[in-house]
Amino acid sequence: MKRFRGQFLLGTFLLLVASVLAIMAHRRWSGVLPAYAYLSGWVLFGAMVLLTIYNARKKLPFLPLGSSETWLQIHVYVGFFTVVLFLIHLNFHVPTGWFEGTLAWLYLLVTGSGVAGLFLSRVLPRRLATRGGEVIYEKIPALRYSIRQQAEALALGGEPKSPAIAEFYTQQLSPFLAGPGRFWSHLVESRRPLNAVMTEIEEFRRYLNEGERGTLEKLRELIRTKDGLDYHYALQKTLKLWLFVHLPLTYSLMIFSLVHIVLVFAFSAGAK
Amino acid sequence: MPPTPAIVERPQRWDAAFDPNMTDADVDRLLAIDPFNGMAPENFPKRTPLREILRHDTSIRRYRKGEIIVRQGDYGTSAFLILSGATRVVLKPDLPLSLLGRQSPGKKGIFRTLAQLWSPLRPPESFSRNRLQQDRGVGARANENNEVRVFLQDLPRVLDQHRTEEMIAGDVFGEIAALSRMPRTSTIFASSDTAELLEIRWQGLRDLMRSDDQLRQHINRVYRERALASYLRATPLFRHLSKEQLAQLAEQVEFATYGDYDWSGEYKRLAQAGSVRPEKEPVIVQEGDYPNGVVLLRAGFARVSRKFASGERTLNYLGAGHLFGLPEIAHNFQKPQELIDSRYTLRAIGYTHILIVPTRAMEQIVLPSLPKSEFPPPLSGADKAPDVVEDPHTAGRERIGADTLEFLTTNRFFNGTATMVIDLDRCTRCDDCVRACASTHDNNPRFLRHGPSSGRIMIANACMHCADPVCMIGCPTGAIHRESFAGQVVINPVTCIGCKACANNCPYEAIRMVDIRDSNGEFMLGEDLKPISKATKCDLCVENYGGPACQRACPHGALERMNLNDLDSLADWMKR
Repeated sequence: MKRFRGQFLLGTFLLLVASVLAIMAHRRWSGVLPAYAYLSGWVLFGAMVLLTIYNARKKLPFLPLGSSETWLQIHVYVGFFTVVLFLIHLNFHVPTGWFEGTLAWLYLLVTGSGVAGLFLSRVLPRRLATRGGEVIYEKIPALRYSIRQQAEALALGGEPKSPAIAEFYTQQLSPFLAGPGRFWSHLVESRRPLNAVMTEIEEFRRYLNEGERGTLEKLRELIRTKDGLDYHYALQKTLKLWLFVHLPLTYSLMIFSLVHIVLVFAFSAGAK
Repeated sequence: MPPTPAIVERPQRWDAAFDPNMTDADVDRLLAIDPFNGMAPENFPKRTPLREILRHDTSIRRYRKGEIIVRQGDYGTSAFLILSGATRVVLKPDLPLSLLGRQSPGKKGIFRTLAQLWSPLRPPESFSRNRLQQDRGVGARANENNEVRVFLQDLPRVLDQHRTEEMIAGDVFGEIAALSRMPRTSTIFASSDTAELLEIRWQGLRDLMRSDDQLRQHINRVYRERALASYLRATPLFRHLSKEQLAQLAEQVEFATYGDYDWSGEYKRLAQAGSVRPEKEPVIVQEGDYPNGVVLLRAGFARVSRKFASGERTLNYLGAGHLFGLPEIAHNFQKPQELIDSRYTLRAIGYTHILIVPTRAMEQIVLPSLPKSEFPPPLSGADKAPDVVEDPHTAGRERIGADTLEFLTTNRFFNGTATMVIDLDRCTRCDDCVRACASTHDNNPRFLRHGPSSGRIMIANACMHCADPVCMIGCPTGAIHRESFAGQVVINPVTCIGCKACANNCPYEAIRMVDIRDSNGEFMLGEDLKPISKATKCDLCVENYGGPACQRACPHGALERMNLNDLDSLADWMKR
């Protein structure tokens, strides 16, 4: 069996079995065991701690703690399992108090950002591999600057000088080459901005002589290269940014959970 | 407009003399002594006369007492003839690793591993002075030509504690390692006050052998005695042969070398100019020729190709231990009325050392003893001109695709036994691998997560721990070495003198020079007030538990350290 398919099937099977067992246990013991809410809460909290320490594993690569790939698999499937545990702990009711409501919202946001991250990390790498060449994220600003320098040298400093190209560059092309751009278009795989510039170039081309057309062709290539860089910038930034959403939310959730535990024990009469 | 071809001057034989200081008087002196005085100059081709070989391919080296000439485990490019004085060869067991400039293999202790949890963040590539303390049993000094020589400080003690054997004027050593590109088997040091040796580089030795029967017979005999018998015994194809048959076979086996021992330098120049072309590689077996024998690759690599349009299409590459030509010879043996010729061309890539078992020896000794079940199936119909049939020579291309195979071959990535392969379809560019490497190695990552790519495969710029480690040739102190016989290539920072020989030799640009710091983060300076440099590269986390940190740190299974000489592993991984 193929490795990734095997991982998926095993993980899904274990998740289903664990979920069914948890729901059966809930139906059997809910309202029967005297401190059932404590039990479900501690199990949920334990699972959340397991999910959180994955980040600690990443910080300790020199220790033989197993591969990060295995940890991520556990993180993903335990993460899905906590949804079941979360619903059981809530006894399938919507929380009413503001504190519990905030806690529930935090949980949903962490889970949602996690699922979004999983989706992005499976979809975006394939797209990155098909367009724009392979480029290191941190080098993109330098490459972008280099492209702009080349374009300006061609359009504004070329010999013989072409006022028409210089004006066209300044008004139409320069904004496209400035800074990172078209973030959302690249994210949703829309080529409309690039096509619009290409159409303008094509329309402008008819007014040029042979020499100027050569310059315009070079500018067209630079525009394409810049678009590829912007594409990589948008997708790689998204892949990095989602973690900056997921992690702060996770730590907020853990802090709120600890406060929740303290409050429960402080006012334990309410936890049945 | 068609692209302008990059024109580079093709390197010529003797463009660079092995030793520019060799004089006419030196050559005259050599021509007067054994074995050169017994060689007939008229037997040498006009392009490579004896006198010019001695002038351009040899160097007279002088060693002082105790200076190490070759180390066990080093990869050498040359053989040595003792001209005067004496040397000693260390018999097993060899000298301790620290005397050979190497670090002791082993993992970090549990305490040292755990201590990384609370140790303060150290400046990158920082060393305490104690850590850089060398074994006091050896010292290093420069000779009159500014070449670094490592010497044994307490020679009487070494002689007392180790078994050694003397070699005197006229003795030759190092010829097998030079010819077969295998690691040197012993350590040899100068034992007289001065020992004068003639170092003959690989090309010169090859040309001398070609034109002088006596030398050729001598080296053939030594080769057969020391290396061939054990190699044949270990080859699965010959495991059914008796001792007598193996001895008969060893008598008939021929050996040859193709290509250039120093292929990495030329390859780097041609690769930078974008002019690496298979058609320029030396042919070992030509498609369409009568199969003269089964080729066993002993060292290096070879490309299997077929004619395609006006060029050649690569079907597979073969490394050490692979066989070529057996199906044709077995077919002709079984069906003598339907003789077929070689179906593929075999070319040396870079440097290739081969053994050839002649067809007659195969038919008289090997094939009659081979069980029927182990015979390659007789070839028929399309098999005689296959591009797509099940065949060991074409299986690689079938499984990983022609483009990827061409990519790996052109860039010579098959050399890597632990190549860092990244699946771009899975890699999220999170750089966890880079951070893991930095955490494990003095806060300085030992690779770049970037490199040539083909389709969804990227070969990152990391040491590949090559099967043919050209970086190990020429290290003056033995600092770069294999951890075990075929293990990881590692650098001992204590004995690395920052000469850049390894970095310049590496065709994959995987070794970097770094200026080291002391524990306070200040750059360490030598007595000349220049920064002290050390060579650094991936060591495959040889000291850590659990294997390479980069691979273990990848959350998406996108990074794998892989032996690219095993295409099945790559194919399985790509289709995982």
